[in-house]
Amino acid sequence: MSSADSSFVASLKPGTPETAEPALLSEIDASTRAPVFFFLCSALFWLLLGTVFALIASIKLHNPAFLGQAEWLTFGNIRTAHLNSVVYGWATNAAFAVAFWIMARLSRTKLRHVGVLGIAAAFWNLGVAIGIGGILRGDSTSIEWLEFPAYATPLLFVAYALVGVWAIVAFRFRAPGHVYVSQWYILAALFWFPWLYSIAQIMLVFAPARGAVQPLVNWWFAHNVLGLWFTPIGLASIYYFLPKVLGKPIHSYYLSALGFWSLALFYNWAGVHHLIGGPEPAWVITAGIVASLLMVIPVVTTGINHHLTMIGSFGRLKDSPTLRFMVFGGMSYTLVSLIGSAMAVRSFNELSHFTHFTVAHAHHGLYAFFTMVMFGAIYYMMPRLTGREWPSATLISVHFWACALGITLYVVGLSLGGLIQGWEMIATTTDPKTQEVTLQVPLFLDIVKHTIPYLVSRSLAGILMTIGHLSFAVSFVWMLLQPRAVAGVQPTRLSPVSAVLPASRA
Amino acid sequence: MSDSNPNSPADPTPAHSREQPEPHEEQNFPSLLLLFLCSLLIFGSALYLQRYSGGFDPLVYNEEVQGRGGPAGGATAAVDPVAAGKKLYALNCVTCHQATGAGLPGTYPPLAGSDWVNGNEDAIVRILIHGLSGPVTVNGVTYNSAAMPAFGPLGSNWKDEKIAYVLTYIRQEWGNQSPEVTKETVARIRAATADRAKAWAAAELAEFHPAK
Repeated sequence: MSSADSSFVASLKPGTPETAEPALLSEIDASTRAPVFFFLCSALFWLLLGTVFALIASIKLHNPAFLGQAEWLTFGNIRTAHLNSVVYGWATNAAFAVAFWIMARLSRTKLRHVGVLGIAAAFWNLGVAIGIGGILRGDSTSIEWLEFPAYATPLLFVAYALVGVWAIVAFRFRAPGHVYVSQWYILAALFWFPWLYSIAQIMLVFAPARGAVQPLVNWWFAHNVLGLWFTPIGLASIYYFLPKVLGKPIHSYYLSALGFWSLALFYNWAGVHHLIGGPEPAWVITAGIVASLLMVIPVVTTGINHHLTMIGSFGRLKDSPTLRFMVFGGMSYTLVSLIGSAMAVRSFNELSHFTHFTVAHAHHGLYAFFTMVMFGAIYYMMPRLTGREWPSATLISVHFWACALGITLYVVGLSLGGLIQGWEMIATTTDPKTQEVTLQVPLFLDIVKHTIPYLVSRSLAGILMTIGHLSFAVSFVWMLLQPRAVAGVQPTRLSPVSAVLPASRA
Repeated sequence: MSDSNPNSPADPTPAHSREQPEPHEEQNFPSLLLLFLCSLLIFGSALYLQRYSGGFDPLVYNEEVQGRGGPAGGATAAVDPVAAGKKLYALNCVTCHQATGAGLPGTYPPLAGSDWVNGNEDAIVRILIHGLSGPVTVNGVTYNSAAMPAFGPLGSNWKDEKIAYVLTYIRQEWGNQSPEVTKETVARIRAATADRAKAWAAAELAEFHPAK
């Protein structure tokens, strides 16, 4: 492909090889359109519902009487419902949509028998709905990240199997040629997730392992859902959309390969660092710490690769919604992963473990990185799926800034609160005369009270993100109500593009 | 999604027409400094893994320990025979001989201040391994109502070091101040009495415990 510098008009000229590509891509997009659209709509639904759950849970932490009469809305239920609706409802549905859309395009093959995917999407969302309902009824398994009651999960597994098989079929019948880095990540993730999910489900819910093996399996699963499911899909999206929007190639194939294989090699062990100080053999914990430290390699490699691709094009952040969300997500990925490696070191873990710092970190990863990347991808996909342009640049701007400021306030506020909380729980003083060691803050309740300002800041951040999600939802629905765009219409931009820029394409 | 336009959905949308080509990668080789730093990190992590893995022993839970019996002293090397014996005593002996080691007058003989316990170790090691039945005279008082069970092959089948620990404990507790019984001593006596298939009578042990 040497068309990076060819003009917009030339690309429209019929009969040239240039037109072959839009025609082929639009045919492929048309074939994935129904299931991808189904996944996106359900993702949006669960995002909004998950946001409501999140706000209720957050407010309850500093105002426990809030909705205190409703039995099914206790903190234990609502927080769990939040986690599962955003992880399995929003993030996984969005990941399915984006993964399919990218996989079909890069494989240059039309998806056949998409009805199967429709069934998969219906099963998946039914499973999530039953699971969330079960949690609110009080049927949670109380195993972190696997709280869906056992009567909901087989449905999810069947749906996932269909999704996975269909993406692999698309890959199998790809057009000959180079397999691009996004395809590696998507293909790997489609194998990794069912492996994680089925093993964890069997070893923890259906035929539970005994004793110290249980927490090991639990954290192996929970951490790998982030690292071997959401991370690869997020990175596949950045690798696809960055060069797609900029019209220039990824900086280095070798860095892509190094980043991919080191992630595949090291991530699987990293979850064990959640059990530092727990009743596990020393070597298991140390192996987990070492793997977490070695995660610096894929993170830095991928970060450098993305940065060297972006360099010289940062001006495009002013106008392209997709790029803006992608770059925010990509930079958050580097930052959150380096913080994560630091949290795995024994001396820092002593401070951060069992505090709000961990909560801030989880949202940093799943929101500031993954969710923002998914937003960016959806902004690119929707005009191609619906033939309509985004109705309002203002709404996109509100979406970006509300979410970006919201998650920044969330992470900074809660990390700070978590560090103070952690320090107060372990800080001691030694009496110089008697050598007696006492806690600096002897009353646990005082430590809890000191976290309240940070919990309030979390609720404010949550309100900001809710505003962002609402403007996204309004945009999304408004777009569908519009007439189809006519040929040659300009994309919706956040600011006018200067005429000097070659990129008059979105 | 309702589709009211006359075009087929597969027709390129305006967004498709203005789209950049599909992505690809350049073949830039990464900086050698980056590869060097990655290698350095792997090397450092390997050192850390070696240092804090407890010798990859599944029973070592403290990362500062190098493994059982390792150079930094493992679990076995750290065993205090009196402490280990105390646990064994509490689980196996305390019902009859009591926590005070005083036994029960008229039924179970005392261990505290006992001439047997503080006497020749050959006698008590034999009693532990094979048990004792029949009358026995301790500190001049005769007890004849209960049998001492075997902890060797005829009974609980304890290893040499467990027998050594519990005997060391009763020889150094409650004011007793006799020397430690080593597991080598137990092993020697076990080998010497390997043919025996029943409990001892006190009279048979007279050579090690001359009646006073």
